[in-house]
Amino acid sequence: MSMAIIDAREWQNIFDLRTGAKIEADSPVVNIVRGIQGHHPYPGDTDPGSNKWVSDVALDIIEKYQPQLVFLAYAGQYFTNRYTPMTGDERAEMFSAVFSEVNRFIAESGFTPIIIGTGNMTDFKDFIDVSKLDGLAVSTHWSARYAGLHNPSVSDLKYLEKHPKIERIVGRNELLGLFGASPAEAARVPEYLVLAKEGYTFKTASGTLRKALMIPANGFRIPVFCPGGNPNEITDIRGIVDAGLKKDRVAVIILEGIGMGNFPWQNTSCINGRDWYYYEPGEAQYLTIMTGEHRVFDYPTGYKYFEEDQETKEYPFSGYFTSLPEGTLASQFSGKSIAVGNKSMFMHMVTGADLSIECFARNLYNQGTMGVVHRQDKL
Amino acid sequence: MRCNYCEWRCELGNGKLGVCKMYVEDDNVIKERFPNKWSNCGISRIESIPFYHAYPGSRSLTVGTSGCNFNCKYCSNAFIAKEDPALVQDRMLDYSPQEIIRMAKKLGCHNIVFNVNEPTVSLPTLIEVGKEAKAQGIPMGCLTNGYTTEESTELLSSVFSFFNIGLKGFSNQFNKDYIGIPSVEPVLRNIKRLAGMAHVEVVTPVIQSANDDELDAISDFIAGIDPEIPWHVFRLLPEHDMKEVDYPNIEAINNSLETARTELAHVYFHNFVGSDWVNTLCPGCGHVVIERFSLGCGGDKLHRFLYDGKYCPECHREIRLLGKKMEWNNVEVQS
Repeated sequence: MSMAIIDAREWQNIFDLRTGAKIEADSPVVNIVRGIQGHHPYPGDTDPGSNKWVSDVALDIIEKYQPQLVFLAYAGQYFTNRYTPMTGDERAEMFSAVFSEVNRFIAESGFTPIIIGTGNMTDFKDFIDVSKLDGLAVSTHWSARYAGLHNPSVSDLKYLEKHPKIERIVGRNELLGLFGASPAEAARVPEYLVLAKEGYTFKTASGTLRKALMIPANGFRIPVFCPGGNPNEITDIRGIVDAGLKKDRVAVIILEGIGMGNFPWQNTSCINGRDWYYYEPGEAQYLTIMTGEHRVFDYPTGYKYFEEDQETKEYPFSGYFTSLPEGTLASQFSGKSIAVGNKSMFMHMVTGADLSIECFARNLYNQGTMGVVHRQDKL
Repeated sequence: MRCNYCEWRCELGNGKLGVCKMYVEDDNVIKERFPNKWSNCGISRIESIPFYHAYPGSRSLTVGTSGCNFNCKYCSNAFIAKEDPALVQDRMLDYSPQEIIRMAKKLGCHNIVFNVNEPTVSLPTLIEVGKEAKAQGIPMGCLTNGYTTEESTELLSSVFSFFNIGLKGFSNQFNKDYIGIPSVEPVLRNIKRLAGMAHVEVVTPVIQSANDDELDAISDFIAGIDPEIPWHVFRLLPEHDMKEVDYPNIEAINNSLETARTELAHVYFHNFVGSDWVNTLCPGCGHVVIERFSLGCGGDKLHRFLYDGKYCPECHREIRLLGKKMEWNNVEVQS
């Protein structure tokens, strides 16, 4: 059974990750995770100590669990860039701090790093208002480029086709064909995908969130520092990690909001998608890195996620994930693995690592941390 | 000219704005500055708002505008409630009352709930939405800080049939220091009034060493009105001007709710992930009749509904509920 250890500061509880039922657990592995969570309260998404928390937690788990495979996601700079007004110098200083943090982790851990930037950010220019269509446009706050379009009218399509801030409208079949979706996967894909031009994002009917100052930029290519090979495409990274693990301890380090322009390590320019489609930072991009397969349809862009939120949904602590993804790197690795991240509560799902610790925060509200134990039998 | 929507009763005129900055005097009439402008129009589980005793399991269209008439030091929605409303209009949604109803239907929502900020600052718009919702049989609820004038309280009750009223502290000193209002009396008056007319739940965020010593007084007050009123005690998430404050200790606050649990039928303690105190227990025998998950910032969620919506299956005591249990993906609207 996979378990979730919730640390809400000075208060911990353990749950069955799948059902959400509260459970009792006492084992060496559980105690390692609990102890580390207790020692490292999460400072918050835009706190200057946010990225240091990732390194500190990872180094602490490495010392106690001795893994061969580590996944890290550093996202402090992404959230700060997104919401905090900054000068160019301040931004450069912030980037420099995250790179120093990564170098500190590498130096102190001795792991061989594979470092991936998820893509540049760009100034938010304006909204594309799709809130008043006859049909329904669905886009998450975190997506800049894509909105799913459900049941559009003829006049909706005319309006969107003429819209100067829209790059193009893609029919469902074109998307399905691009990645070869199965009939089951196709069922949840919207009739159309609407693509915004760079700098623009969609205003849809949705919940209240903070206004972004910067959003993900066009990200057809992402930088990868990969001493063991040159990944031409995002799906090549997995194989290089697998090969690296045969001789080294490997750390896959993902830097949110870092693209080709500001990546300080020697890097390969890696294709981040296929043809006109690129991955924005998020679960699909992580899953593709971790599995070596395009995973566009696990939770398709612009799908009606809310329809799957009924009370019988499993994995209540894992956002909109309804099952453990198959084929993830760590779930197929026989050695020990860990994951630490401050992006969201999905590292435990997309990596499949034996142990994960991640922030439990949404929309910058900091509720603590979540540890996930998938495997206890390797200690 | 005085604005009489809330107890500030601000003097408006000659371009002068009041505390909320949402109304203006125009030709001897108090008008909204930004009618039909919404900061929020999205889907939420009703338990997340939170309402625990109204339409359990239902899909709510949550709506909000901008501005607020309180100045809470810990405001969790300061990015919309504490900003100058004029500066956030570029990100607002522009929906007429008819379009709000259409959106509720399009998104398969069973009811409409005003949250995010304070409904009193957008009352004329909400009255129009209320008329449309009533015509369509869609129930409306709201979160409110209860600082309405008596006449506005009547208006609120004409729009909304269920309320979650924030009773943030019991002493005038706390309300002056942390909320920025001179007296809690209007809030207490309005809780009494609304509890006599509609479904009411009460929410209190707790700040250790600031208002945790007032919990018994709040509980006594609620019990004096109606001990069946559900009370949500929130662990404060340090936000806005209180970002540096320590997170309240969960065990200590829970221990301080012992008295409340003897005099109120339903005391919930949440706003943190994995709370143990989100289930509805029968006040008569302690049998669990509704199970929920608390996901903190991810919102609360119905897990299992274990009674007929009226009586405890074990001891047959009545357990109050507004409406019936709803299926998330069933688009049937029930008023």
